[in-house]
Amino acid sequence: MGLIQREIEKVGIASIGVSIVREYTEKVQPPRTVFLRWPFGHPLGEPGNVKQQRAVILEAFRALYSITIPGEIVDLPFRWRRHDYESYVEPGLFEP
Amino acid sequence: MSITSRLKNRLIAKLITHYPSLAKGFIKAYAPWESHETIPWEPPTKPLSECKLAVVTTSGVHHHAQEPFDMQDNDGDPSFRAIDGTTIGGDFRITHDYYDHSDAEKDLNIILPLDRLRELQQEGVIGRLANTHYSFMGHIDGRHIATLSGHTAKQVAEKLRQDQVDVVLLTPA
Repeated sequence: MGLIQREIEKVGIASIGVSIVREYTEKVQPPRTVFLRWPFGHPLGEPGNVKQQRAVILEAFRALYSITIPGEIVDLPFRWRRHDYESYVEPGLFEP
Repeated sequence: MSITSRLKNRLIAKLITHYPSLAKGFIKAYAPWESHETIPWEPPTKPLSECKLAVVTTSGVHHHAQEPFDMQDNDGDPSFRAIDGTTIGGDFRITHDYYDHSDAEKDLNIILPLDRLRELQQEGVIGRLANTHYSFMGHIDGRHIATLSGHTAKQVAEKLRQDQVDVVLLTPA
């Protein structure tokens, strides 16, 4: 996936990737990544968990605007099936 | 690849999904392409509320009428499928033996979060959600790494550029 991300960024499009295998991302070095130590097939979380899916997307957007070092990986603090999304505070504006 | 080895891959994928520690050997054995080039860098120049966003996923999802990804080639299938964001929710199949997609079949948003992104568009967080998104099958290896980075990924990048997409969110499986 990181390879595709690199090609997308090369044509002038800003990109943010979600990773669930940190080792691959470290090798392939896509421009920006948020990492979750979650099972395969679940990059946005569990079926029907709207708050969880939304939190991952918003954290990806936050990283899209906050990462300043090419190749940086942000480790998200969400623990698989043990995180309380009720207390999640959504980021404000996404601006350069 | 024989039917037996495809079944074996699916069984391993199911086990790994439920017991992630088993994946360690798998991850070590699979050597992804390692980059020595400069990392491409094109940070966003506009607020997200003014950006057009598309999703690229490597989860192997596609429409029923589209040709399934090739699961016979040990190096994977480096081709892509264009996904219609307005119809995919009611018309999708996942062709991928290397992960357990039973949860994604219950709720496609866990690999392709278009419902969530539409909500964020309605709230004005995202300027506009593209109509067309792109799907690959992950797990590309051997000779197809070059096919992916030299051809098919470039084609998708060009299509996104022509569609005037500003931001791409990538989701794996």
